[in-house]
Amino acid sequence: MTQETLAEAPYLDVADPTFSIRSQAVLEAREASWYARTNYGIAVLRYDDVMKLLRHPKLRQGSYRWPELSGVHGGLFARWWGAMLLSQEGETHSRLRRMANPAFSPKLITELRPKFQALANKLIDGFAAKGECDFIAEFTEPYATGVICDLLGLPFETWRELADIAAEMGLALGVTFKQDLATVEAATARLLKYAEDLVALKRANPSDDFVGMLVQANADKSQLSDQELLDMIVLAIFGGIDTTRNQLGLAMATFIEHPEQWALLAEQPDLARAAVEEVMRVRPTVTWVTREATEDFTYNDLPIKAGTTIHLFSQSATSDPAVFPEPGFDITAERKPHFGFGGGAHHCLGHFIARGDMTEALKLLAQRLKNPRFNGEVKWLADSGNTGAITLPIAFDPA
Amino acid sequence: MKVDVDMSICLLHGQCVIAAPQVFSFDDDGGLVWVAEVDEAQRADVEAAADACPEQAILLG
Ligand code: HEM
Ligand code: SF4
Repeated sequence: MTQETLAEAPYLDVADPTFSIRSQAVLEAREASWYARTNYGIAVLRYDDVMKLLRHPKLRQGSYRWPELSGVHGGLFARWWGAMLLSQEGETHSRLRRMANPAFSPKLITELRPKFQALANKLIDGFAAKGECDFIAEFTEPYATGVICDLLGLPFETWRELADIAAEMGLALGVTFKQDLATVEAATARLLKYAEDLVALKRANPSDDFVGMLVQANADKSQLSDQELLDMIVLAIFGGIDTTRNQLGLAMATFIEHPEQWALLAEQPDLARAAVEEVMRVRPTVTWVTREATEDFTYNDLPIKAGTTIHLFSQSATSDPAVFPEPGFDITAERKPHFGFGGGAHHCLGHFIARGDMTEALKLLAQRLKNPRFNGEVKWLADSGNTGAITLPIAFDPA
Repeated sequence: MKVDVDMSICLLHGQCVIAAPQVFSFDDDGGLVWVAEVDEAQRADVEAAADACPEQAILLG
């Protein structure tokens, strides 16, 4: 393909605050072409190409330079961001991932499952009698954070503080990062201190839980240094809260639009696991992942230059009618895998935890909240990047 | 010990290649290859790979 055809590919203005990954423009672009041009590089729109490029050896994770691109050139957050697992590639990434794997093992989830159930029930008890709630403030946020508390061995009561610190640190991902720098730095310092205290506790009382496993990996400091140990704990907190909060909110919003599926889930709780997958296919919170070309190469006849940013549009790929001929929301359908947890070397490390906690939550919610419906204005994050509801007022019939 | 991968569910994430590089690797076409019979010295690595596989596609025998 020549540069002329590159210029002919559809263009998507992804920097426009009203841009929606589910817009007609994206559907038309996907129909016309496997990729679109954007403000930052290219966007990949179709299932097979997203699948292949997630694993492409000439692409690296693409947001590692975020602080620098935001004009922030040092400090605690920028150091952490550059050093943590997601920003690393090659040997360092592999080493860190090997060291972290045991802490994220599916074996640990079996023990956490009853805790997830207890947490979900406790939160539902808090609002069930009212017949209404803000599903984000009263369920998904305390649940997502409470799960991290369980994982870290912290009492549930710390959830509010942890959620606030993570949200302040999360300002780093916004367009106003530079203005918010002081808040971000203070939050990063507090989260690192949290991690330090947890590690000190586990060094004094060794165990086989999440932090305990990471402390064990840290026994050989050439494999996992003290700093890398703290950075990993901070990443689990930072990467685990908003994602789970948003994904569960998206699940509820999707089910409200498909009441017969909610009723089916209540009747057949074993469908909860499949329900998580189907929600993540039609409404992933991570609507795209970012990659960057490490060298010049050609893909599908398109020459791609080193340094090009490539957004892999997970949302668009898993609603592609070429691959999902009946793309409607159906928790009983056999589906090809979604990309809601990314894929390849950076595939979400927390997916066993996230799948486990969301399965338990949906199971209990469907049992206890009948006929959920919208009950006021839903406030949404932009329908691109990492999306979800900020407030989600619902009403329901308590079971 | 025997190592097998259920290629009907493997999604080529390469987490096994990260966890046990002496046993799993990608060939030049991006296909997954592995050593079908490994000795005891590699047990820990292979078990770590099976544990970490996001699709739980690795079978040990
Ligand atoms: C529904 C909840 C979640 C979603 C949708 C999600 C999604 C993702 C995605 C898409 C990636 C890949 C990013 C990329 O390739 O650029 C990722 C990576 C990661 N996630 Fe999650 N995640 C969730 C929950 C969690 C939880 C609960 C934890 C930790 C307790 C976690 C820890 C991580 C880590 C450490 C990585 C980096 C892996 C690497 O770079 O090798 N995630 N996640
Ligand atoms: S980790 Fe699992 S899914 Fe990924 S390549 Fe290895 S066997 Fe296949």
